[in-house]
Formats: sequence, C-alpha cells, structure tokens
Amino acid sequence: METLITGKALILACSAIGAGLAMIAGIGPGIGQGFAAGKGAEAVGRQPESQGDIVRTMLLGAAVAETTGIYGLVIALILLFANPLVNML
Amino acid sequence: MNALKQTKWMVIKWLVILNLVFVGLGFLFLKEPVAFALGLVFGSAISGLNFFELANTLNRAVSMPPDKAQGFTTVKYFIRYIVTAVVIYVSIVAPYINVLGTILGLVIIKIVILGSNLLSDKNYFRNIFRRKEDESSGQ
Repeated sequence: METLITGKALILACSAIGAGLAMIAGIGPGIGQGFAAGKGAEAVGRQPESQGDIVRTMLLGAAVAETTGIYGLVIALILLFANPLVNML
Repeated sequence: MNALKQTKWMVIKWLVILNLVFVGLGFLFLKEPVAFALGLVFGSAISGLNFFELANTLNRAVSMPPDKAQGFTTVKYFIRYIVTAVVIYVSIVAPYINVLGTILGLVIIKIVILGSNLLSDKNYFRNIFRRKEDESSGQ
C-alpha cells in the first residue's frame, strides 16, 4: 500500500515543527528577567535607599527584553494560523 | 519611587504620541487604514498595560528574598506572555484587525525606550567609535 504525502501536508507539518522551535525564544527572556529580578532584590537588600533607581533601570531593561520573546511568538502564531507558505503551492 | 512613576508616564506619553504618528502615516499611505489603526491601538494598549504590570511586578519583587523574586518574576512574565499570545491570535483571526498593526503596537514600547533612554544620549554614539585602548588606564 502506498501512502502519499501531499505538499500541503508536508508544509503544515514542517510549519508546526517550526512554530514549536520558534517558541523556544520565549523561554530566554523569562529566565533572564527572573535572574535580573533576583539580582535586583539582592542590590536593594544591600542599598535600600537606591530602590527607585534600581527598579527603574531594571524596568527599562526588562521591557526591552520582553519584546524579544514576542518576536518568536509572532513567528509561531503566524506559522500556525496564517501560514503564508500554503498559498504558494 | 518618584523617578519610577515619572519614567512610567514618560513611556506611556511617548507611546501615545508614536501611536498617533503611525496612525497618521497609515491613513496617508495604506489601503485599509482603519484596520491598521485598530490593530495599532489594540497592540499598544496591551503593551502599555503589560508595561505597568511589569513595573508592579518588579516593584514587588525587589522586596522579596532573591530566590523567591526570581520565581515570582518568571511566573509573571509567562502570564504576560500568554496575554500577548491571545492578543496576537485574536488579531490574526479577526478580519477587521490588521495583524501587522498589532505587532507594531506590541513592539512600539521597545522603540520608545530605546529612543528616549539610549539613542537620545550623545555619549552613546561617541562611545561606539571610541577605542578602549585610547582611554587612560589610571595606572
């Protein structure tokens, strides 16, 4: 018995794998933000009077880091729900 | 604490200004400007709320023990991440929202922060071309 894999099925399967791989990008900022917050808590413990400055710097850095995770999320969701490659067949 | 509040409102102010600029550009150059504007407002509203949530999270995290702060911040990050995923999914599924507008709205906060804190500083550009070897070592 011969099973045929159509081009569309192959693209969808590869897109699903690609979406999964793209989601790995979301883990990094989470770990990084947690690490930064832990170090920030240590810094505030050492110098409680500069809490405002520490939180402000950390906030700006964390907000920039967070958008990096969004890029991966966008790629994954577009591959899953609005795949442009299927229409190219 | 006052500096933090000031920074938050400065970012939100520039977010709104850039939003208006992009909506204006959309109305000038795009075929379907309303969908783009809706996406932009949708994305940047969620982005601004995420920024406020991030500020609250970090404010609470610095008063915790370091290992607890680490777990707390990571969990909160993934909650915000899920919210962002829902936003992007809705903008992909809904035909009246432009997904590129939503994505631009979500990353506009990065443009604001880099523009207002890094690229506005002349020393940043000067230091790019300054060689470390030229500086006196102080010995």
